[in-house]
Amino acid sequence: MTATPEQQTTTQTALRPVGGGGVVVVERKQPRQSYGQGIAKGMGVVIRHFAKSFTTRIDDKSDQVGMFTVEYPEERMELPEAYRNMPILLYDDKTGQELCTSCFQCERICPPKVIHITQAKDPNTGKPVPAAEEFVIEYDSCMSCGLCHEVCPFDAIKMDHFFELSTHDHLSMDRNKAVLDRPISYYQAIAPNLWAAVEANAMKKLQNNIKRRPGNIGVAPHMIGKAQKALPTAGAGGARPAAGARTAAPVAAMGKNMPPEKVERLKSIRAANAAKRGGAVPSAEETLLAASAYTSATASPESGLHTAESDAGLAPSPATTPAPATGPVAAVGQNMAEDKKARLEAIRAAKRAQRGDE
Amino acid sequence: MLKTEELQINIGPQHPSTHGVFRLMATVDGETVVHLEPVFGYLHRNHEQLGEIWTYLQTITITDRLDYFNSMINEHGYCMTVEKLAGIEVPERAEYIRVIMSELSRILNHAAALGFWLQDMGSWGTTLMFGFRQREMIMDIFESVGGSRMMCNYMRFGGAARDITPNIVEQIQLFLEGFPQFIDDFERLMMDNEILLARSRNVGVLPKELAASYSVSGPVIRASGIPYDIRKAEPYSIYDRFTFDIPVGTVGDVYDRFLVRMEEMRQSHRILQQALEQLPQASGSYINQAYKAASKQQGLRPPAGEAYCRVESPKGELGYYIVSNGGNTAYRYGIRAPSLINLTALNDMCRGYKVADIVVILGSIDIVMGEVDR
Repeated sequence: MTATPEQQTTTQTALRPVGGGGVVVVERKQPRQSYGQGIAKGMGVVIRHFAKSFTTRIDDKSDQVGMFTVEYPEERMELPEAYRNMPILLYDDKTGQELCTSCFQCERICPPKVIHITQAKDPNTGKPVPAAEEFVIEYDSCMSCGLCHEVCPFDAIKMDHFFELSTHDHLSMDRNKAVLDRPISYYQAIAPNLWAAVEANAMKKLQNNIKRRPGNIGVAPHMIGKAQKALPTAGAGGARPAAGARTAAPVAAMGKNMPPEKVERLKSIRAANAAKRGGAVPSAEETLLAASAYTSATASPESGLHTAESDAGLAPSPATTPAPATGPVAAVGQNMAEDKKARLEAIRAAKRAQRGDE
Repeated sequence: MLKTEELQINIGPQHPSTHGVFRLMATVDGETVVHLEPVFGYLHRNHEQLGEIWTYLQTITITDRLDYFNSMINEHGYCMTVEKLAGIEVPERAEYIRVIMSELSRILNHAAALGFWLQDMGSWGTTLMFGFRQREMIMDIFESVGGSRMMCNYMRFGGAARDITPNIVEQIQLFLEGFPQFIDDFERLMMDNEILLARSRNVGVLPKELAASYSVSGPVIRASGIPYDIRKAEPYSIYDRFTFDIPVGTVGDVYDRFLVRMEEMRQSHRILQQALEQLPQASGSYINQAYKAASKQQGLRPPAGEAYCRVESPKGELGYYIVSNGGNTAYRYGIRAPSLINLTALNDMCRGYKVADIVVILGSIDIVMGEVDR
């Protein structure tokens, strides 16, 4: 199809060639003399590719012949750092303090308007404080454009890499803060370079914010009462008054009829767990609890479990596999805080009773 | 003499060969097409109205959804128009990044379009997958620069969303290394195929004069023998720095369109090689820093006025027309979609040919309904 000089018809129209190059006339092929030669030639290419697909594997992009397919879900392609799927919120690993200050930049820029923020108010004065009381993103309508994470001045909202989001439970696609919150270490693991570029700025802004309003920084819901106690400057805060009350009286939350020695034992277990887990990705069961508490009003606990597994963005451990028929508490996970366990058990019992009545 | 009666056949709107929700009302006399009426509008999504409601920055995200096979070029054209309106300068490096992405998406589009066209002709699977594998490699590159395979949302006013790292440059270079082998394989696979020659030679002929009066553009008009390419006719961005040829056909039939697209992929490869060579010497940043903050915070308010910019999309001439009244949203936003204009010539291309040729001719125009209906 390359053009010989005499084929070049530079005088054809009013085209003014700018830069180099001109016009080439494509070369039309005539059918061959014996019918079937062209098809055989094409089949040669197919056969070569077919045979090579058993022996070689394409590893880099310059390879043309070989096995191209990736056997998902057994093997997965490595996602590039810049890959974006759905937005998540970041919080500090150690303290649980959220980077979000509810400045509403993301809500304003979101083209399909799926971000809904409720700003927290100081419980004493009633004035708005720079923390999000609730942060809902409708995942089902999100177009994954990534503008929210681009505009965020505090680098609090980032795009997740987790894409296996399909569910039967449509309502669970409205993700609230408890489900959206991820520790910084999680984002660092999926996008180390992108985080390194913004880390200094983000942490500086968070520290300034803490300095300015020590009591009012938003805290990731499942971190309340865990790493919080280790933090002298910021209490559980007025971000979520109900949660704050729970932190103030942790013993009461553990179960009303518990004997004191049991409460002591639970407290020590919980402290050990918190220390062990500090800085880790939120385990599946934590997100599970948040999700199941959130969806329990509308969905069955089983569907809540499925959602939570996908939320955690990790391979679910065997302990979290739903086993509603036998020992639901055991299925919830050994590392779970006792009050959460009790709360979940109560929800389950109510559901069982409901089903039994039917 | 037997009396024959004309019959109307309805193809679509959900027929797989119509490339989307598109309906064809064919009037046939026996096997011969007498008249053909394209009916579109099934995929209308109010794109232009949305562009007048959303801010300039937000509208970039939906230009991806116009012609979802070449989102980068759509963004390029839209950003150029807003830049012209607001008087934003684009740094040299950003221009190189844009050209690289545009040419990659041209290859992507042609590889997929030819695959689909051959599938329409009856070559199920194999040829489509040859094209799609190449498309997949380019989409991997797009994923690492823009974050998404198809809806890249990568270009910004004054440049691009982020810089291309040496890692990505290496990835593109690897792709370019393997590309000649792909095009040779693809050519050997199909070029001499007797069935392809029989079904495409002298089918769907669009004469030169008719093509010009329909104002079709892109490979369709070039196959008819008119070397009209915006990259040469009105060089935008930095296309005047590259050496490349414009392939033209002689007959204007379906076969010529196939050949023109094949040659265009080669020429895109040439441009990419030159662009990657010149990229390290390019001055400036990946985005005009002065406008980075303004466009991020949606503070971009171009002065009142109007602007029209056109780019050479793989389908043809893609034009954007924006009227601003000084606000942060467009007052009027219009698009000249190449797929729509090229589709209007379908009746004249199909008349006189057989019913089975309709699909082949339609495939050779390479339409995307997202762009036709908007």
